[in-house]
Amino acid sequence: MPKQNQKRLRVLFIALSFLGALLILFFGLRTFRAFKRFEGHQPPPISGELATNAEDIEDWMTIPFISRSYGVPPEILFDALAIPANENHKKSLKQLNDEYYPKADGYVISVVKATVQAHQPPPIPDLPNGPNPPETTP
Amino acid sequence: MSDFLLTQVINYGAPLLGIILFVGGLGVPLPCTVLVIAAGAFARQGILPWYSTAMVGIISVVIGDALSYSLGYFASGYVLKRFSGTPRWIEAENTFQKWGPLSIFFSRFLVTAIALPVNLLSGTTRYPFQKFFFYDILGEIVWVFGYGGLGYLFGSQWEMVNEFLSNFGGAVLGAVFLFIGIRQTLKWQAKRNSQKTLNTES
Repeated sequence: MPKQNQKRLRVLFIALSFLGALLILFFGLRTFRAFKRFEGHQPPPISGELATNAEDIEDWMTIPFISRSYGVPPEILFDALAIPANENHKKSLKQLNDEYYPKADGYVISVVKATVQAHQPPPIPDLPNGPNPPETTP
Repeated sequence: MSDFLLTQVINYGAPLLGIILFVGGLGVPLPCTVLVIAAGAFARQGILPWYSTAMVGIISVVIGDALSYSLGYFASGYVLKRFSGTPRWIEAENTFQKWGPLSIFFSRFLVTAIALPVNLLSGTTRYPFQKFFFYDILGEIVWVFGYGGLGYLFGSQWEMVNEFLSNFGGAVLGAVFLFIGIRQTLKWQAKRNSQKTLNTES
């Protein structure tokens, strides 16, 4: 192999090593950060539970998807948005916003979040362990 | 792109996911890992049937991989005419024979960025198809059931899983580059030193 090519290959391999080190540093830090965020979360129980945090709703979701995830009937969501349900089942929140409220950016997602939130059961407060209630007699 | 595909997957289900994974297997850069993790979460919500979705996913991506292997195999004429028999080609072939199984297996799920080059290289170096197929299926099963399984396990928190896994994959890719770079540089250095010694002796 000519000397020139050998030199080029050597430069290429050194560059590859540097690129590798940079990638490790960059993605390593991001992995660590992601792991830290991940660490505080336990996987939710497997039994068919419904989602409760309306803040997790995103632009790519559709109304039937949100309805199923949060247990809110789709008619309520379409009514809140004042848009017809027909032909809008397969559209994402972003598409609905662009189509029906093009001048109000983020309107659809905020209405959906508020409606879902309003339909969540109130949180059960943690009661201190008090004495057991007396048994009732028939 | 991810958002658009996620919306379509919840609308059209497993058949569309299969098509996307097939196209991804051919080498078109699509966010397939994101979709596999999300599909796991959708299966948990009852939007996708987990068993048939997993089967469709594995079959589609394996067909895509096999096609990109054959692309390398049948388009290798020019490459072989140009390089076949040269010491560097023989070295490349030997290296692939040695590292082929590992690179095929891990590039299916851990370092997906190199999956297409690995498929093409497998075909071009005439790596036995049966072996390629075996390690390919094994890797894709880990990808679909492992990553999809994590999506299923974490449900609505699947995006955190995706963030962690995609960054981890990037770090592993960096480690692969670093390993190859250092290994080849050391090899080159050793060769150079031995040549120098020979020259001084003569």
